Amino acid sequence: MDLITSLAEVPETELFTGGHGGCRSCGAAIAVRQALKALGPRTIITIPASCMATIGGSDLTTAWEIPFYHALFETAPAVASGIRAALDIQGIKDVNVVSWAGDAGTADIGFQSLTGAAERQENIIHVCYDNETYMNTGGQAGSVTPYLAVTPDTPGGKPTPRKDMLAIMAAHRPAYLATASIAYPLDLIQKFQKAKEIQGFRYIHILAPCFKGWGIREDQTVQVARLAVESGLWLLYEEIKGQRRVTYRPERRVPVADYLRLQGRFKQMDDAAVAALQAEVDRRFQEVQS
Amino acid sequence: MPQLLNGNEAAAHAARLARVEVLASYPITPAAPVMEKITQFITEGSLKANFVRVESDHSALAAALGASMAGARSFLITNSQGLAYMSEVLYHVSGLRQPVVMAVVNRALAAPHSRFPEHGDAIAQETAGWIQFFCENNQEVLDSLLQAFRLGEDERVRLPVMVNYEGYIQSHTREVVDLPDQKVVDSFLPLVRRPVLDVENPLAVNTVASPAVYMDYKFHQDEALKRAGEVAREINAIYAGLTGRDWGGPVSGYRLEGAEIVLVTMGSLVSTARVAVDALRSAGEKAGLLKVRLFRPFPLTEIRATLKTVKAVVALDKNIVFSSGGALAREIRAGLYGHAAVPVYSYILGLGGRDVDVEDLMAIYRQVRDQRQAGAVPAPYQWYGL
Repeated sequence: MDLITSLAEVPETELFTGGHGGCRSCGAAIAVRQALKALGPRTIITIPASCMATIGGSDLTTAWEIPFYHALFETAPAVASGIRAALDIQGIKDVNVVSWAGDAGTADIGFQSLTGAAERQENIIHVCYDNETYMNTGGQAGSVTPYLAVTPDTPGGKPTPRKDMLAIMAAHRPAYLATASIAYPLDLIQKFQKAKEIQGFRYIHILAPCFKGWGIREDQTVQVARLAVESGLWLLYEEIKGQRRVTYRPERRVPVADYLRLQGRFKQMDDAAVAALQAEVDRRFQEVQS
Repeated sequence: MPQLLNGNEAAAHAARLARVEVLASYPITPAAPVMEKITQFITEGSLKANFVRVESDHSALAAALGASMAGARSFLITNSQGLAYMSEVLYHVSGLRQPVVMAVVNRALAAPHSRFPEHGDAIAQETAGWIQFFCENNQEVLDSLLQAFRLGEDERVRLPVMVNYEGYIQSHTREVVDLPDQKVVDSFLPLVRRPVLDVENPLAVNTVASPAVYMDYKFHQDEALKRAGEVAREINAIYAGLTGRDWGGPVSGYRLEGAEIVLVTMGSLVSTARVAVDALRSAGEKAGLLKVRLFRPFPLTEIRATLKTVKAVVALDKNIVFSSGGALAREIRAGLYGHAAVPVYSYILGLGGRDVDVEDLMAIYRQVRDQRQAGAVPAPYQWYGL
């Protein structure tokens, strides 16, 4: 397998075309476009209730150039398991089966079917595109919404920290696990290229900002995604059979405050909270790097 | 070849003979033995199928739906709590016109918690757009399941099918069941693939439907369910030709000739009612029985044709739609409305597994006969056996 190492090598074919219904600079749409560059046309994707499930088109229009099914909220990994069982019994082995869910469809309402599929080592790729809120219903808080984030149902700031989905999924001992960011497209594309060649349960978690939910400008989507990584808040790594490899390390980390202050959703964070988060990021960064 | 099988075993053999390709099922009492038996068939090599050992009933139907959309013949088993839990998925399957077949081992819905048989679980899903068969005995379970695959997959139908039989009374009781030859079943159930999730022909399935299109999809779905009754009759005739067993169409009568008071019921109660009708006839009563085999689509035409000349109908419902009464009674009254002014007496009985025997049905018959003689208008519904 030749990993794509420059943007020039990225295939031109769009499997999620322009004209889709996402907002300008929708992080979700960027994520799926990047992933499909690696996965290619022999891919079946199932997406539970989420923005991503709906922006692909409505009525008789679609932006999808691959088979797509808008699944019930809880079910994407279960549906994917069924699709794989059906392909297997027909002897079809060269098709990627992907369940692509937001944070709710992954960590909350979709968690039951996700953990089941992971435990069964289903031969699927589950992707979480994470904008850290329930954007499709208006941006309410979910389990991976960060501590103190202001959302329509946590107007005083979310009282609990973000659930560590990577640790939870790592505990299932997947064949492949990775974090990714839309601001690092080559890193993301390579991870999908690798995942594609691995049999078994694969989990990829992409940080994909939503300007609306995060309270940033439309044109700041990629910039803020990059700051998350450059501050050490969002680590880029992959684990193959539990062996971790950091795939990108910022040369000099920027203060988390630079990331937080751009976002309206963090307006409830005072200096003490920012300092606590910085300390937490520092600690975790040391842990991972060693 | 005849074997002594309980209802669950009959269902498992039907799945094997139908060569189901994906089994995605979650255990629930008293249905779990069906899946266990099928996994044994897979392990011993008498069935080539993939078993998705899902982590919930809701995921079971989701996985079965995924498999069906990707072109495989899929099957599952559930009842009561599991059926209620997967309710929203039922609507996806029927709305997406996928011919998933499901055996439902009828059991009462909590609360209070019950493990025992009645039809409330299936009736609660009557609007889900699934074809619903109710089986009288274990032979019919096997035969109806085989017919269900062909019916659901028929071009004119393309709908999911629920085959109902009662927990314990049927699931765990052994009867003689004749298993057709695999060759006969293969000729009856050719494998036809119609994947909608296919990389060779990409489609977007279940995009957001605006008011401009949603209702039209429902119209077509309704038309398909209505067609299913006639197609079911056709398929039964073909099956009868191959096996010698004719279950009739959506309804079948017993001793209806000259019958004045007709018992109408579904499921295991039909067997009990046959015995009761024989006893009543011996006592000089003009009793008859109408078995409803297909509850959805409800056979309105057959109901009208068979019942319009009788003096009274006694609907026996092992279910209750609270404050409204029994589902069968309601459907029968709707079918007769505007066509014949036949009084329909509605009885709620057997809920939560409360036993109903021959004497009970004879007592109900006499109650109705007395109420008729007194000239009383039938109550909306009455409870029996409290």
